[in-house]
Amino acid sequence: MDQVAIASASLMSESLTHHPTARLTPLQGLRALAAYGDMLKNFVRKDIQVRYQGAALGFLWSLINPLVMIGLYIFVFSDVFKSTLPYYPLYLMAGLLHWNLFSQITGQSCDTLLSNAGLIKKIYFPRLLVPISSVLFNVVLWLLAIVLLFLIYPFIGGQARWVLLAYPVALAAFLLFTFGVTLILSVLNVLFRDLKHLVDVALLFLFWVTPIVYQYHRIPPHLRDAFALSPLVEYVLIFRGILYAGQLPDWHIMGAALTWTAATLTLGLFVFHRYADSLVEHL
Amino acid sequence: MRGDEVVRVEHVTKEFVLKHNHVDSLKGRFVGLFKRRMRPRHEHFLALSDVSFTVRRGEAVGLMGRNGSGKSTLLQIIAGILRPTAGQVVTHGRVAPLIELGVGFHPELTGEENVYLNASLYGLRNKDVRRRFRDIVAFSELAHFIDTPVKNYSSGMYMRLAFAIAVHLDPEILLADEILAVGDASFQQKCREKIASLRRGGMSIVLVSHSEQQVRSVCDSYVRLDKGRVVESGVFKAPAAHVR
Repeated sequence: MDQVAIASASLMSESLTHHPTARLTPLQGLRALAAYGDMLKNFVRKDIQVRYQGAALGFLWSLINPLVMIGLYIFVFSDVFKSTLPYYPLYLMAGLLHWNLFSQITGQSCDTLLSNAGLIKKIYFPRLLVPISSVLFNVVLWLLAIVLLFLIYPFIGGQARWVLLAYPVALAAFLLFTFGVTLILSVLNVLFRDLKHLVDVALLFLFWVTPIVYQYHRIPPHLRDAFALSPLVEYVLIFRGILYAGQLPDWHIMGAALTWTAATLTLGLFVFHRYADSLVEHL
Repeated sequence: MRGDEVVRVEHVTKEFVLKHNHVDSLKGRFVGLFKRRMRPRHEHFLALSDVSFTVRRGEAVGLMGRNGSGKSTLLQIIAGILRPTAGQVVTHGRVAPLIELGVGFHPELTGEENVYLNASLYGLRNKDVRRRFRDIVAFSELAHFIDTPVKNYSSGMYMRLAFAIAVHLDPEILLADEILAVGDASFQQKCREKIASLRRGGMSIVLVSHSEQQVRSVCDSYVRLDKGRVVESGVFKAPAAHVR
């Protein structure tokens, strides 16, 4: 069947082969995804538009929640518990903003496939676009907060250091890790609908076992190694190292974080690829 | 695939798993460990069995059969939504499934925004939609309402917009589930003319219908399904001249 290209990028002459054993190679998959770039754009735009429809402050609402959280934690930890840490607001924000990104994406990941069931059942398009658009939507909302952090950065104790150049790399790795988690949860939640509630509890638990509002060194030494196994702990240490301390953490922390990313992403893509075609029968 | 074939369905079999006491929660699994009565039972159900046929360029094929004969399942497989359990479907060209009109329309978005959103779901780039936008709006006769949210549309307006998008996707293969015309009588006439002109341009149609009359009025040939098997297939007398 030489004349039949599989999901060629030029859609005007698109051809598709459906066969139980026919699989797209990763390269063909990427090309097909690129052709759907506009759909992704329209999807994210739709989600944002719908979310802030009729709200006078519109997009700015996405800032209210993190601002209130930050204000409260600053009050509790610098005025009530009397933290001696210099520049506590920066210390807090470096961890909290990235936690917010993770928890928002993960909290929503369970619903992505179910809430788009109507589409998935009626039209064929690469299913991977659903979780990707959900992640992108949250990233766009979050961008406002991180841009604000960088704007006030010099005034809250941040310094221009070379290590800041590592930030985009760390962020990319963190997002890929989060994307991997999203893929796994989105598929699992279709098969086990109550997973969502478990995830909510797990997120609450994870927040407090991650040194976001408190210092890593306050963790009892004999527990510290166990804590450091958590990918969230590792990434918070990395982000705070870059944005607050001005130096990257130990190489084994970074190595562990990257290993988590690679493992989660691989497992996520595998699970999603494995179930993507049969998911529609469970929706 | 022979030169003028655009769809080839080869020995397609589709098996569904019918779930009694279906469990889709962790809690349910846990309970099932202790209570036999609550344990899920699975039954295999053959929706399609060894179905084969081909559609040539410009040809319209009607899939007939009673409810539950598997014709809609077959359409979903051709559209790529479901995967066959065995066999394969090869399609050549852009497939526009008219299985349900207005899929992905968001009520809060305007008609215009929904045109872009809906067309991109079928793989059309925004720049291609921009080129066709004027035609789509003209066809739908909704120029005056295109910048208002579709939640304020009447159901007729909604269908007209959805149909206008579908026929402007430049599909090579149109998969339709009963719907080939929407709106009032004059709009339906326009739909039929549009489809006829697309067919003169070489578009093929696979039409699912339980109405023999509808199939006869549109299609050149037919495949009749019963309980997932092809029981009859053939060509209607006096097929449209442009087909062969």
